[in-house]
Amino acid sequence: MQFIYFGLITGSVLAVAAAGFAMVRQLEGFLNIAHGQYLLLGGLFTAGFYKLGLNIFVAGFLASVAVGLVGVAIAWMVFFPLRYKGLLSQFFSSIGVAFVVYGLVLATWSGSGIKVIPADFGRPFDLGSISVTFGELMIIGVSWLTVLMLHFFLTKTTMGVWIRAVASNRELARVRSVPSDIVMSVVWFAASAMAGLAGVLVGLLGSVHSELGWQYILTILAVSVMGGVNNLYGVMAAGLILGLVVDLSSVFISSQYGTIVTFGAIILTLIIRPQGLFSMQKRNEAGQ
Amino acid sequence: MTGLIIFGASVLSLAGIYAILAMILNLEAGWGGLWDLGTAGLLAAGAYCYVILTVHSDEIAFAPQLPIWMGIIGASLFTGLLAFLIGLPSLKMRGEYFLITTFAFSVVVLELITTESNITMGATGIHDIVRPWDSLVSTRNYNLVLLAIISTTCLAVWVIVRMIGWSPFGRLLRAARDNEPAALSTGKNVARARLQTFVIAGLLIGAVAPLYVWYIRSLSPHLFHATLTFTVWTALVIGGIGSLRGPILGAFLLIVLTEATQFLQVSADYARILSASRPILVGLALILIMRFRPEGLLPESRSFVNARTRIDRKT
Repeated sequence: MQFIYFGLITGSVLAVAAAGFAMVRQLEGFLNIAHGQYLLLGGLFTAGFYKLGLNIFVAGFLASVAVGLVGVAIAWMVFFPLRYKGLLSQFFSSIGVAFVVYGLVLATWSGSGIKVIPADFGRPFDLGSISVTFGELMIIGVSWLTVLMLHFFLTKTTMGVWIRAVASNRELARVRSVPSDIVMSVVWFAASAMAGLAGVLVGLLGSVHSELGWQYILTILAVSVMGGVNNLYGVMAAGLILGLVVDLSSVFISSQYGTIVTFGAIILTLIIRPQGLFSMQKRNEAGQ
Repeated sequence: MTGLIIFGASVLSLAGIYAILAMILNLEAGWGGLWDLGTAGLLAAGAYCYVILTVHSDEIAFAPQLPIWMGIIGASLFTGLLAFLIGLPSLKMRGEYFLITTFAFSVVVLELITTESNITMGATGIHDIVRPWDSLVSTRNYNLVLLAIISTTCLAVWVIVRMIGWSPFGRLLRAARDNEPAALSTGKNVARARLQTFVIAGLLIGAVAPLYVWYIRSLSPHLFHATLTFTVWTALVIGGIGSLRGPILGAFLLIVLTEATQFLQVSADYARILSASRPILVGLALILIMRFRPEGLLPESRSFVNARTRIDRKT
């Protein structure tokens, strides 16, 4: 039971991290490698705001918004001008952005290699047969609240309908006078802010270190492939499942094999079911 | 003055290694159209294979202590076999799915190296490396010997890659990349050609992996992180994907630029910023090239401009 609970925490954070990645993939069409570095920025900003004496909730919220704004700014500067130059150049530019953000973080990194967000949520208590802390429950709660909010945002608001319109047919959406620049900015803001939030949650769970971005982008890639890259809900579900699989596998085999399990899972998924676990239509581009 | 020469030799050696890797990547990605993100994994496999075959150490469970040349051949064959095993399932996929699969395999290889510490020493790493002609020259001057070895290898790889690029096989790869149905309709076995390319790249990476080990002089898993693959890709993209000389130019520009920052003598405070400037330079180079010259400094179209006249002359 305890492992299912841990899996639920890992999976919830992964779902939030991968949702933004999948949104960008769906709207822009390329895999944004810089997404992992936005997680790192989220964790760092929170640590910074927290040091200024802000409440941890306020700090986390401000950090997410700040990362969202950074994401929009980078998108306007780097990705929008490249839109008609092909996916390969956008993909490599995102690697470039990842390098630049990573370098800037290293340059301004103060003190030792690891930062812990020193939030204290009290002592663990027992809930049935499992031991939980308030902080962990809050992480699960915030993740699911975010996912729900994203769902209602996409289905119930005009902006959400616009976003889905642009995702399914950009030309048609433009003909129907959907302001695509505004829509894209909102998408980039939401995606980056969710990456920032995931970074905050990762920081609360453990620690923030400089390699976090490179480390998490791999898992995010894995999750989005498992879920079927074009399916937002599939990706979120895959995040949850992968979290559960990794933490449950540590019951049976040594936990140092966690990463191998993760990537074994994506290789298996790709070979057996290249259209992803939850994709309705076959992904034609995947195999020929 | 000698210090300067030694330092220069070391920078050029590193640039040479990256040039070799970029040329091999160009073979797969530039001409074969295979977006491979597994370079670091294959390089790690080759490097560990070489070191385990040749190292003189009691701490490793399996250490046959073979001579250097057998170690190189062993590493090459092992990496080629690994490439075959990875390529068999992954080559069924295209574009970014291939990219993710090779990436995933690379991570698995690296993780296996970290966890199987009884033969790889895990995260501790291996620190006595057998290098050729090590006893003949002083450690200080060894950089020059290494530079000579690496330049020769660089030249050899260039000749091999060039031969493949000009050959009918190379033309088949480029044809299949540009228009797969057309290539298939001429009765060519595109899938087999791609697998062959992938295995050739694996063999080559395995054969040059010892150079990287000799240069670093120790071995641990963190040398083979994803950033290595991305740096090789950056070199290739800057130089020009698909061109013959592009990868070499790209690698030398990139490495000399980033390593030159080591050259500045600064206080400890600035040293941190200086070492951080390397990823920033790599990233900015990528972004700017993609924005203003997406086909790279030396575009592919110039490399094979005479291909047609050559064929005409032969027939």
